[in-house]
Amino acid sequence: MAWVTWRQHRSQLVAGLGLLVALAAAALGTDLPIRAAYHRDALSGCLPPSARSGCDIIVKHFQGEFASWAAAVRGLAVLPALAGLFVGAPLLARELEHGTHRFAWTQSVTRRRWLLSKTSLLAAATVAAASLASAIVMWWRSPFDTLEGRMGPSGFDIEGLVVPAYAFYALALGVLAGLLLRRTVAAMTLTLVVFAATRLVVLEFLRPRFLAPLHRTVLASDGGRQAGDWVLSDTLVDAGGRRITTGHEDLAVLHAQHAGIDPHTYLITLGWKRVISYQPGGRFWTFQLIEAGIFVTLAVAVIAVTLWCVRRNPT
Amino acid sequence: MIEFHLDPRSGVATYLQIVQQVKEALRLGTLDVGDQLPTVREAVADLAINPNTVAKAYRDLEREGLVVARQGRGTFVASTLAPASLRHHDELRVQLERWLAGAEAAGLDDESIRALISTTLRKKLARRVA
Amino acid sequence: MSRRLDGGEEAQAPASPGPGGKSGASPLEARGLGKRFRREWGLRDCTLELPRGAIVGLAGANAAGKSTLLALATGLLTPTEGTISVLGRDPLRDPAVLAEVGFVAQGAPLYRSFTVADSIEFARRTNTRSDSSIAAELLPSLGSRTKVGDLSAGDRARLALALALGKRPQLLLLDEPFAGLDPLAGREFLQLLMDGVAETSATVVIASHVIADIERVCDHIVLLAGGGVRLQGNVEALLDSHRLLMGPRRPLGSIRGVREIVRERHSGRQLTLLVTTDGPIVDPSWRVDHVALEELLLAYMAPERLPTPQPPERVPLRWHG
Repeated sequence: MAWVTWRQHRSQLVAGLGLLVALAAAALGTDLPIRAAYHRDALSGCLPPSARSGCDIIVKHFQGEFASWAAAVRGLAVLPALAGLFVGAPLLARELEHGTHRFAWTQSVTRRRWLLSKTSLLAAATVAAASLASAIVMWWRSPFDTLEGRMGPSGFDIEGLVVPAYAFYALALGVLAGLLLRRTVAAMTLTLVVFAATRLVVLEFLRPRFLAPLHRTVLASDGGRQAGDWVLSDTLVDAGGRRITTGHEDLAVLHAQHAGIDPHTYLITLGWKRVISYQPGGRFWTFQLIEAGIFVTLAVAVIAVTLWCVRRNPT
Repeated sequence: MIEFHLDPRSGVATYLQIVQQVKEALRLGTLDVGDQLPTVREAVADLAINPNTVAKAYRDLEREGLVVARQGRGTFVASTLAPASLRHHDELRVQLERWLAGAEAAGLDDESIRALISTTLRKKLARRVA
Repeated sequence: MSRRLDGGEEAQAPASPGPGGKSGASPLEARGLGKRFRREWGLRDCTLELPRGAIVGLAGANAAGKSTLLALATGLLTPTEGTISVLGRDPLRDPAVLAEVGFVAQGAPLYRSFTVADSIEFARRTNTRSDSSIAAELLPSLGSRTKVGDLSAGDRARLALALALGKRPQLLLLDEPFAGLDPLAGREFLQLLMDGVAETSATVVIASHVIADIERVCDHIVLLAGGGVRLQGNVEALLDSHRLLMGPRRPLGSIRGVREIVRERHSGRQLTLLVTTDGPIVDPSWRVDHVALEELLLAYMAPERLPTPQPPERVPLRWHG
């Protein structure tokens, strides 16, 4: 089946390889100016937890200089979905659409073995490619990661173990969608929708709770946020611990401005505090492991369902 | 080597046509003792007919003692039809020409003559096979 | 391969069973087989048993259920009711039996972007037993680097057949192989098929709605109509047991030698009956003739079938001269 998988998917595999090469080339090309700026601004001296004066401005300047590139890199979060759309969805959908399953599934290789072999081989290739892409991104992002951490979604979603896990899950989804819908374009659409929905649900509802978030109470002034943490919520509470609405906060600031007092000092005198709930950056690999585990388990479940379903009426 | 041809519209079973063609070849001297008949595969690949049919024809011929099947080597002509039959050809042909003249004189056209001959022949053949 | 010399419907030497095949099991057997698609039944109450080594014509109109039957036999569909067994095994529960079955689906599906050589390699890699010599014989005329999508319909059909024959199957199923083929391509296909059958001694099922295409080679017929089996049996036996009776139009009683009237047709003053016989028909008032296969099948395909004639004790034979 290895030859068969290669022969039927070689254009996809070559395209994937091309994508990787392009990614590596882009990373290499853009990395030089970043490293140069990093050293020029002596940003290594501004790494937290040092609070050298003026570091704020230097860091902000550095981030602003490469903001567009960093934003573009965040777009790489869409890459894992491509595995589902262009490798997974056509796998069964194309066979069923063109009727070639009547040829492929009447040979000595049973339908289940055929599907399992193909999916395993393609999954292995996908995971390998995604891991490589993830490594490239991690290498490229290291200056940013040291400055602003990678617990937040903009770093977490494109680095580490989750990238190959997302790709594996997307691939499995694509294959099942192809079997259920029997049309390539429809299968691609369904794959994209379900993949995005799953990612969203995990990101919004599960990831913040993988481990109990930590809390920090600070004075109602700036600061208190450590770079590298993923801040989940940052709320103003009064002396009794009750939440202060933004409307209320605005009123207080206005009042302070009228009275000619520094608003921050005024809020402190009111006894107001800020409660920050966050996930510390140190939990990065733990969270990566948990989220990757979730998606790998989902992928395996989806594949099991597909194997069970393929035995039934495909025609 | 004899080449078979099939007339699907003749109303005669395929295997019978093969038998007849072999016998005809024997009568005309096209096939001689020791000659090899086309193998089942050759006949079938050429005519696109059921291999069973060829096998059945060859079996019939073998039963009549005209051919013999040698395992693994093919089917060969074992004996010709009595040369005496060739001798009778001329005499029979003259008789036939006379009969045809009589039929024409009786008012039968070509079609009726042919129909009469083929029906009588078929009945005779059917009686012999039955 | 001397099996063929025994051929026909007489005692056959059992074909050597392939791995996993039960020797002695019918190559294809169905009992009460039915398949429903949403509201319609594609096949209903289908019961048949094919003899080994036969070349079976599966005849019937376009929606009669031929493709459905073949899809059920290859495990591409699950039955709604009844059972089907291929070489004694259930194609769904025991899909390994497909190693002994060659199948060319309607339209001879192959991967269009593959070259001929790729297709042969595919067959080699997906089958435990794959003899590419049959396909190799086609290579000079097809060209090993030609893309399958660029081949003519006839060439594609022959390639698909060659790949199926390469499995050395015990059972070969062909779904409408002549559809879309010009007469020359059809003849070439049939030559390849018959040659392959002579070599492999496979049981063959050819599904076709054009009877003339299969009349040439079939020794067994299964006629499907309306989703069920209307007629099945050895071709010679069927032709022997049916007769065409022609005579002046008259009311009918029982006729000696006639078991059942299959179809009655009258035009003007002539009455034509297609009957099954249980003895010789000697009644001089009827002209008795043999039936051609195509006419026989057409008669059974027609939805109107006459009721059986009354038993002899009740109604004496009467006619108006």
